[in-house]
Amino acid sequence: MKVLLVDDEHELVATLAERLAFRGVDAQWATTGRDAVALASRESFDVAVLDVKMPRISGIQLKKELERIHPEMKFVFVTGHGSEEDFRIGSAEADRYLAKPVDIESLVETLKEVVSS
Amino acid sequence: MTSPDVELVRAVSEAGLRFFGVMSASVSHEIRNKLAVINEKAGLVEDIAVAMRSGRAPDPDRLEMQAQRIVDQIRQANRIVRALNRLAHSTDEADATVDVAELVALVVELYGRKAAMAQMVIEAEAPTGEIEVRTNPFLLANAIGLCLDSAMANAGGSRALRVIAEGDGDGVSIRIRGLEGDVDSGGGPATDRAGLGSLLETLGSDLAVDRESGDLVLSIRNLKPRENGSQP
Repeated sequence: MKVLLVDDEHELVATLAERLAFRGVDAQWATTGRDAVALASRESFDVAVLDVKMPRISGIQLKKELERIHPEMKFVFVTGHGSEEDFRIGSAEADRYLAKPVDIESLVETLKEVVSS
Repeated sequence: MTSPDVELVRAVSEAGLRFFGVMSASVSHEIRNKLAVINEKAGLVEDIAVAMRSGRAPDPDRLEMQAQRIVDQIRQANRIVRALNRLAHSTDEADATVDVAELVALVVELYGRKAAMAQMVIEAEAPTGEIEVRTNPFLLANAIGLCLDSAMANAGGSRALRVIAEGDGDGVSIRIRGLEGDVDSGGGPATDRAGLGSLLETLGSDLAVDRESGDLVLSIRNLKPRENGSQP
């Protein structure tokens, strides 16, 4: 399973990738929408884990751009806001929606379920 | 209270509640992000320990680096909480002598995430010497925040704003530099526009665009005690 992690918080996304590697998940990461699109243009991913709110581009917009490159890609949204609006948008737009802080074992389970669905 | 007074108090109260809500939401979001990083860092330390027990070579440098980064995140979260706490305590007194540079720095810090999300940088310029005014600290913080919103909507190509406090006769001026084009000093959503107008009226302040420099200038006069002793 190949995972693309995108969050503007560098420390979070880099550490999450390291932890997923410990669990046998090949995770690459980006801190901007532009870098995420560049990564997705070079290689394919089974699932992308996107922060809902990022500078310059929202998770929703980024999902649309990534879908154009890989129409079969699955999506999990993560948010630190936890507002009603975020929940509504996240639930409607992504295959799954998680709130920070994310439990790593739950994330791995979610990724497996989303990829196999 | 006459009817216009009631309306003014209501408008100021609503603006204040909205401002405090926005700041609280922004700060809680930042803290949540810091907690998420701490959660992952602590988890990574645990993962490394489990791997070491399973035979992986000890890597004290990696562990030390993660511990240091956890400390850094806690320090940043603490700074954010302290800023929100200072804003909360600005409501302690309705009439106080305010260190304007300190208040400007506080609001600029609280606007850090909002600015980052808008791909902007806002900096408070430290004045030479102390600049004080007698006013309502929370209402002034609220007015500065709404001015920043207006300035962000009119920011120039550099996407950088500087906020400068300076003495100005019987009061102080707060200049926001870095705007471009036809700046509307009452910019922003209609609710914020009405709120800012009410705040300016309550504080006895003016907001104008300096046509020479293009700066947005908030002028605050020292409050005079009201005849019946009530304060804004």
